[in-house]
Amino acid sequence: MSNLILTLTVLMVLFCLGSSRLLSIIYLIAFQGFLVSVLPFFINDKITISVILFILVTLLIKSFLIPIFLYFVMKRITIKREIEPIIGYNGSVFLGLIIIIISIFIGNKFNFHINHHNTFLFPAGITTLTSGIFLIIARKKAITQVIGYLMMENGIYLLGLILSNHNLNIIEFGILLDLLVGVMLMGIVLHNINKTFDDIDTTLLKSLRDL
Amino acid sequence: MKSLILFLTLIVLAPLFSAIMLKIKAFFAGKKGIPLLINYYTLIKLIQKTSVYSISTSQIFQVGYLITLATTLTSLLFLPFSGLPPLLSFNGDIIFVLYLMSLGKFFTLISAMDTGSSFEGLGASREAFFSFLAESAFFMVIISFFWFDEKLSIASYFMANNKINVWNNYNFPLPLVGISLFLILLTENSRVPIDDPATHLELTMIHEVMILDHSGPALAFIYINSYLKLLFFSSFLTLLLFPRFGLDNKWNIASFYITLICIYISIGITESIMARFKLNKVPKFLVITFSLATFATIIIMGFAR
Repeated sequence: MSNLILTLTVLMVLFCLGSSRLLSIIYLIAFQGFLVSVLPFFINDKITISVILFILVTLLIKSFLIPIFLYFVMKRITIKREIEPIIGYNGSVFLGLIIIIISIFIGNKFNFHINHHNTFLFPAGITTLTSGIFLIIARKKAITQVIGYLMMENGIYLLGLILSNHNLNIIEFGILLDLLVGVMLMGIVLHNINKTFDDIDTTLLKSLRDL
Repeated sequence: MKSLILFLTLIVLAPLFSAIMLKIKAFFAGKKGIPLLINYYTLIKLIQKTSVYSISTSQIFQVGYLITLATTLTSLLFLPFSGLPPLLSFNGDIIFVLYLMSLGKFFTLISAMDTGSSFEGLGASREAFFSFLAESAFFMVIISFFWFDEKLSIASYFMANNKINVWNNYNFPLPLVGISLFLILLTENSRVPIDDPATHLELTMIHEVMILDHSGPALAFIYINSYLKLLFFSSFLTLLLFPRFGLDNKWNIASFYITLICIYISIGITESIMARFKLNKVPKFLVITFSLATFATIIIMGFAR
C-alpha cells in the first residue's frame, strides 16, 4: 500500500511537470499533499495518538488550507495558464523521468541506516524534491514557482520520514508553519506583482533593476 | 482444441463487440441506437458489391488490404485467450507480432499513397507519425513485462503463471501499464481522443482518410481488419486485467469475456465523454502515454522484482 501511495506521489510530479493549466496543477499538488500526509499511517509500525494528530494537522494544511488559499489567489489574478515556459512540457516530462532514474540510482548508492523496509521512499523523496526545484527554475509564472516550492517541501517531508523517528515531528511542524506563512506571504506578493504589471510573470521583475 | 474454439468465437464475435461500443455511444447521446448486429449487415452488404478500382492505382492497392488483414489475423493467433495455450508460440513472438502489425500498417500506408491523392498522403503521414510514437510506448510496455518474466513470448507472460496480472497484490505498477496500454489501444485503433472513426471528408482525420478509395469487398476487409485489430489490443489489455480463478478453471473464460466487454464499454464511455484532441495535442498525449509506460518500467526495474 505504501508503495502504491509513493508511486502515485511520483506520478503526480510527472503530471505537474506536464500540465499547463494552473488550476489543475493546484489540484494535483493538493492531491500530492494528501498522499504524502497519509503515508505515515502505512509506514509507521505503531500508531500513537500523537502520530494521528500530526497526520491530521499535516493533511489539513497540505491538502486543504494551502491549495484553497492558492485557489483564491488564482481567482483574484485571472491568469489561467502558463503560456511560455522556459522548458517545454514534453521536455519537462522527459527530464522528470530522467530525474526518477537518477534518484533511483542515487538511492541504490546511498546506504542509509533505514528503519523502514520501504526502499522506494528515498528515491521518491529525492524525485519530488528535485522536481520541485526544477519547476521553480523552468516556469515563469510566480504561482507555479510557489507550487514548485510546495512540491519541494513534500519531498523534504518524504526524506524526513526516513531519517526521523516520529518523536521528531516537532521539526516537521516548524517547517509546515514556515511553509504556510511563506505561501500566504507569496500570495500577497503575487497580488502586488499582478497589480503592478497586470501579470505574474517573474521575468517582468527585471524592469525593476537599476540601469 | 479449447483455444481454437475460443479463437474462432472471438473472431466471429469481434464485429458484435464493436457494435456494443456504438450502443454505448448511442445511450450517452440519448438515442435508441442501431441494432447490435449492424456490423454484420454492413459486411454482408459490402461483400455483395463488386470491386471498383481507380485507374490511377496499381497492384499494390489491390493486395494492400488483404495483407493488412492477414497480418492482423496472424497476430491474433499468438494471444493466449483467457490463459489457454495459444495456437502459435515461440520465444520472441511478441516482437514478431509487433512488427507484423507494423507490416500491416505499412501496407495500409502505401495503398493510401498509391491512389495518388494528396489528401490520402496527408493521412498516411499523420498515421505514420502517431503510430511511431505509439509503438515506442508499446515497446516500453514490453520491456516492463520482460522484467517480470525474462522471456519474449506473449504465452509465457499471460498463460499459466499468475505473474503478470493486475490482481496480483505485489504488482503495484501494473495498473499504470494497463492505463498506458489503454491509451495505446485508443491511438492504434484511431478511437476518439486521437481520431474520430465516424468522420469522413474532414481535413483533421487520420485513419479514415486513408481508406477513402476502397469500396465494396475491399472496404469490408478493411472493416474486418479494424474489428480484429481492436480485438487484438483489447484482448492484450484483458489478459493483463482479468481476474483469474486458478488453473484450468472454467470461470476463467467467463471472466475473460466479461472483462473484454467491459473494456469495449469503457472505450465507448471514453468516446462519449471526450472530444477529439486538436491535432497538435496528439503528440503530447502520446508522450504522456510513453512516459507512463516508462515510469512503470522504471518502478518495476527498481523494486518489483
